[in-house]
Amino acid sequence: MSATRSPEGSGTNEPRLAVYVCQCGGNIGDYIDTQHVIDVVRDLPGVQVARDAMFTCSDSNQQEMIDDIARESLDGFVVACCSPKLHTFTFRGVAERAGVNPYRVTQVNLREQCSWTHTDDPAGATRKAIRLVTAGVARACHGTALEPVQVSTTPCVAVIGGGVAGMRAAIGLADVGLDVCLVELEAELGGWTGRFGELFPRGVSGRALVRRMRQEIASRPGIEVLTGARVVGKSGTYGNYRVTIAIGDATTERTVGQIVVATGFDAYEPVAGEFGYGSPGVVTLPEFRRLLDETDGPIVHDGRTVRSIAYIYCVGSRTDGHAYCSRYCCSAAAQASLLVADRDPDLQQYHLYRDLRTYGRNEVLFGESRRRGSYYLRFADDDPPQVSVDGEGVSITVHDLLTAGAELTVAADLLVLVTGMVPRPEDDLIAALKLPVGRDGFLNEIHPKLRPVETVVDGVLIAGACQAPKTVAESVASGMAAAAQAAAVLKRGVASLDPQVAIVHDAACDGCGECVAACPFGAIALAGSDGHAVATISASGCKGCGACTPVCPIGAIDLQGYTDEQVRAMIVGLLDGGVR
Amino acid sequence: MDYDALVVGSGIGGMETAIKLGDMGYRVLVVEKEPSVGGRMVLLSKVFPTLDCASCIATPKMAATVHHPNVTVVTDSEVTAVARTGDGGFRVRVHTRPRYVDPAACTGCRKCEEACTVAVPDEWNGEMVSRRAAYIAYPQAIPQKALIERPGTSPCTDACPAGIKAHGYVSLVRSGRYEEAFRLILDATPLVGTLGAACYAPCESACTRGELEGPVAIRRLKRFVAERHYAGPDGPGVTPPVPNGKRVAVVGSGPAGLTAAWQLARAGYAVHVFEAGPDAGGFLRQAIPAYRLPAEVLDRDLANLAAVGVTISTDSPVGDPAALRADGYDAVLVATGTPRSRRLGIPGEERAGVATGLAFLRDVRAGRAPDLAGRHVVVVGGGNVAVDAARTAARLGAREVTVAYRRSRGEMPAHPAEVDDALAEGVRILFQVAPVDVTGQEGSAGTAGLRCSRMALGEPDGSGRLIPIPVEGSEFDIPCDLVIAAVGLAPADELAASLPVHPDGTAAVDPRTLQGPQGWLFVAGDAVTGPSDIAHAVGQGRRAAHAIDCWLQGREPDAFAPLDDRLPAVDRTSVLARQRTYAARPRQLPPAALRDEPRDFSRVEPSIGEQEAREAAGRCLDCGVCSECGECLAACPADAIDLAMRGEDRSLDVGAVVVATGYRLFPADLKPQYGYGRFPNVITAMQMERLLAPTRPYTSVLRPSDGRIPLRVAYVMCTGSRDESVGNPLCSKFCCMYSLKQNELLMGVLRFAELTVHYIDIRAVGKGYDEFFEQAKGMGVTFVKGRVAAIRETPEGNLVLRYEDVDRGVVGEADYDLVVLAVGVLPNHDLDRLLSEAGIAFDDFAYIAEADEDYSPAATTIPGIFVAGAVSGPRDIPESIVHAGAAALQVAAHLERRSVPA
Repeated sequence: MSATRSPEGSGTNEPRLAVYVCQCGGNIGDYIDTQHVIDVVRDLPGVQVARDAMFTCSDSNQQEMIDDIARESLDGFVVACCSPKLHTFTFRGVAERAGVNPYRVTQVNLREQCSWTHTDDPAGATRKAIRLVTAGVARACHGTALEPVQVSTTPCVAVIGGGVAGMRAAIGLADVGLDVCLVELEAELGGWTGRFGELFPRGVSGRALVRRMRQEIASRPGIEVLTGARVVGKSGTYGNYRVTIAIGDATTERTVGQIVVATGFDAYEPVAGEFGYGSPGVVTLPEFRRLLDETDGPIVHDGRTVRSIAYIYCVGSRTDGHAYCSRYCCSAAAQASLLVADRDPDLQQYHLYRDLRTYGRNEVLFGESRRRGSYYLRFADDDPPQVSVDGEGVSITVHDLLTAGAELTVAADLLVLVTGMVPRPEDDLIAALKLPVGRDGFLNEIHPKLRPVETVVDGVLIAGACQAPKTVAESVASGMAAAAQAAAVLKRGVASLDPQVAIVHDAACDGCGECVAACPFGAIALAGSDGHAVATISASGCKGCGACTPVCPIGAIDLQGYTDEQVRAMIVGLLDGGVR
Repeated sequence: MDYDALVVGSGIGGMETAIKLGDMGYRVLVVEKEPSVGGRMVLLSKVFPTLDCASCIATPKMAATVHHPNVTVVTDSEVTAVARTGDGGFRVRVHTRPRYVDPAACTGCRKCEEACTVAVPDEWNGEMVSRRAAYIAYPQAIPQKALIERPGTSPCTDACPAGIKAHGYVSLVRSGRYEEAFRLILDATPLVGTLGAACYAPCESACTRGELEGPVAIRRLKRFVAERHYAGPDGPGVTPPVPNGKRVAVVGSGPAGLTAAWQLARAGYAVHVFEAGPDAGGFLRQAIPAYRLPAEVLDRDLANLAAVGVTISTDSPVGDPAALRADGYDAVLVATGTPRSRRLGIPGEERAGVATGLAFLRDVRAGRAPDLAGRHVVVVGGGNVAVDAARTAARLGAREVTVAYRRSRGEMPAHPAEVDDALAEGVRILFQVAPVDVTGQEGSAGTAGLRCSRMALGEPDGSGRLIPIPVEGSEFDIPCDLVIAAVGLAPADELAASLPVHPDGTAAVDPRTLQGPQGWLFVAGDAVTGPSDIAHAVGQGRRAAHAIDCWLQGREPDAFAPLDDRLPAVDRTSVLARQRTYAARPRQLPPAALRDEPRDFSRVEPSIGEQEAREAAGRCLDCGVCSECGECLAACPADAIDLAMRGEDRSLDVGAVVVATGYRLFPADLKPQYGYGRFPNVITAMQMERLLAPTRPYTSVLRPSDGRIPLRVAYVMCTGSRDESVGNPLCSKFCCMYSLKQNELLMGVLRFAELTVHYIDIRAVGKGYDEFFEQAKGMGVTFVKGRVAAIRETPEGNLVLRYEDVDRGVVGEADYDLVVLAVGVLPNHDLDRLLSEAGIAFDDFAYIAEADEDYSPAATTIPGIFVAGAVSGPRDIPESIVHAGAAALQVAAHLERRSVPA
């Protein structure tokens, strides 16, 4: 791959390199003297070109890099900018377009690991930057060309969870010609949505929506539905995962190219006594919706016609233990009050809220609810309403900020606790798929903007409310977005795998097996005959995590792209940078 | 099919849709109306709740879009038609505007930008700073290629019959590049000084500034640059070109002939000019009075011709052009003008006291001025010659000068300013008066007076002017000593001998090529157009030179770009509408020194100095944005600039259409009580984004009025959202979050600032959003619940907010240095007409309807047309990206359905 090479000296190839230092607008340039960094590293061995740029990732700078590579016959380059999480693929793409092996690119993180962390010390940040870039150049000097592992992929997707997100993802995947295995824990598809009637903001019935999706699924032979089933294991490699599914006592396996996790949420269950929960006349929002959806005519609770309803918002949301906002509940409660008003226009309704978050179009629900007679009272974050329950009903005392903090007492026949969403306790699935979990307990995407449906586990995608609280329409959209991502990979039929994987120097390996135990991906096995078993590493199974290399007692394993030689050179670079 | 899918708009939604579809293997065309892909996100500071650098996320998406092997991107383009084809696909039309820079050649070096003489508000920086007319939108723009903003030709340039770039030299003067301004005019004609002195300046009549306090003094700027250049030691500074071996004869040395000679000589022709009179210059020398055009000005202009090798023979009338052809000239241009005066056609015209206007002026310029002291002169006619004659007569001591014109003032062909000046100098003008008889003195050939008749105005004639009809019995006598007849001029009689002529004696040639039937013979100037003015004659000369060059070089005569291929003029109303207010700037230039009964031929209009010239040029509104000054052409090292580029239209067949045209920001001036547009320190949040962005215009956050660092900053939430009074009841969804983000960033930038957010509800509804809200509170941002009623400005430029504090139950007022309006979003109507015609449905809030959003998000009411991102309702970036994924999947499903025959 690499073009010209300068004559070898003292046993090491000295490649021809360029160094680019990014100002990242002001993100780096405000704190690090990039020109000074350039001036110092310009003289490092191998460096043919050194320059800084306002945005190294900008298209114009990419073109300059390509021009430099052609003009100077470069073998690779070092770009000192932001985290590799952001731009590894950007700069590998530049290398590819310039005809250089993409693995001859070294990215040095000057932003997250230097300028942003040392905003109070520009001189120190500049000195540190010189060391970091020197280490990067050292790594690049010992780099070699690597070729990605090409694997053909299985045109089938496992969708875990048969709520609206999972069902819609399955339908969409089938529509673009991919097979689907839809795995649902319950006996029937439908999830939460199937339990409800009219949904906001369009008034579509949840039950009807689920019915429609079930019919669409039934009409697509490419979708296999497994109900009463759970995914218990995953093996194989990217593009061809083997998923183990337990149905009752039996297990079965499917080979799939991608996995979409759409396991949904749980409704927050108040603890006994929380705002009177557990007492007669106190229900959660889902319980209240069931009451509304399953009856007609005047609203009757515990055999009594309800003449007044109070709602307390943010129960189980924006509180200790559940710091997040559950997003859907304000709108859902406002909509519920409209359903109530439809059935009994004279019924008194009181909404006790903190911030009313009927965002976007849902604002219409809030306006309509007020127009139709609902009273809205606002309580302070640190001053929640007090609830007392007696035989006559529920009495709620609140300091209403909308009437200058006046203490008001609301007597209601029914108190609805507007409960939020909480993450489902899917510990087994999380363990089986190694799913990343965020601080809020929901599953985490790689990057909310760059890769919002992907996880750090390649080929495992997330959709719906398992990621964060979402409405039905939002869940459906995210299911389709995950399906689009899966299709974007699988419609090509082949996938390229990162060649930065561990390799064993067979001659040195004595088959001790330490590495087999250390590998978190099960990618290493002992193999061999005539009494000399050596470790073999599956290139498609290895994730390049590096867990095996340090445990090898005799140093027989190297991680390509981060060989011992490279890491040693980087350490020297870090120590010597700018000091020499 | 040309493309599987068309994606309209390359914001974050459009890019994501295109990339996903491209990844799936479909061929995608992305059409972006702006000069760069990327939409708005790339302009933001950071993004919530992660505080990632926005451009660091957007830039790789932009690069990935344009470099995707399956994605083609066209910028500067708009979809102008969408029609269903019946097979589930669409035929679309895409119009691409010219950038006037060849993207293949442009290296993005920005030399053009440095050279550009026009600065306009930079829309990519919230119009808080300026950019050039030649520019690259912003540092991360893709393509990183320059473009030139040219919505049309500026009215002044458009009005110039000589095709001189009036706006160009005005903007050069404004930039202090006087020599370049001189050269720009010199490129059109050698008569820079002449035009600066005596042009009737149709440019000024067209000037948009005329609708304010008065037009830019364009002609006097030309005079300024000419005088400044001629005061220096250099000649024209034009190197004579390499001779091309061909010879051209020009007959007549008026403005048409001299301009043609100049252009031809610079193109390498050996040019010889034959002038019938004793001095070169034609009417410039003979007919225009010296108080308007002194001889030395013309002489300086004539020296330009000598510098490029043009030779002139005077006293050399040419009877027959064919003789010149026989002498070896490859082409002959006849530019002999209109030397013949029309007759009054009344009795007594042959008397001694009757002269033609032309003969009178000619005699005066030649030093044979009659002594008019104490005499009464009557001039007949209403044209420029008549007015010139009248003013000249006054200078020769005439006791009384009367002009008799048969129509009314409004129809007078003379330039209105000349008429004004004549009146100021004491000339009397009789309107609707026509001569009937020149009465003689008893027993003498001399003149005793002029009998005239009053005229009534009848029906309009062919030219639209009313036909004068004599009023019976209205005759009266004006006693006078001299009658000057200036009722029209006509071409020389000899013209008819060489080629066909019209009844009025003008040459009947192709008005585009000016070529006679012989091929080698061309005619230009007043001999073709009839009596006109210097600027028209210069235009004719340029056209003739171009035609002669084409003919002699064996090229098909193409359009003469400076006159025939100008962009349509920009509409003056739209220019004035760019700004809400204009300061009237009283004119500072010294006025013409007019006095009653002038007695000498000194110039009436004084020169202007550099200060005055800069001030005058500074009034220019840059109507056409690009001034065509040509500085970029000279500066571009890659020769990439081509002002002749024109837009193009393409028709394409596509399988599906994705509308991703995004949202429209609420125009903050629709809430007048907040003072946006009137109070400089009330800005929008989008402007604050730019102040905080890594590519920000200043090093810190400064307030606009005085550049001070603000210490008290207020945010007014829900500006234009949740507000029935502006017709938008919806919540815009992301304003709370971007305001929280800006407050967190401001905490870092303005460490000592007090930050207050006036809000209704903080809608932090998204992953990590409420935590972000708590973080902002923890950092010390003050939140006050309640609407802001009104904002007023203090004399120091501070702002007093009148607001409700709901939590405390009070109405209060507070003083701030800077107020940021958290503006909401409205539907983008860019494609509404087009999509309505295609039959698409809109929702109650005028967004494109996603009628089946619960099952089919991104689908519209037309199968095959989808939406992505904020075009169908407020969506933040993560939501737009997810929505775009859904759109991509829908498109793929649609395409797969199409590919399976039913």
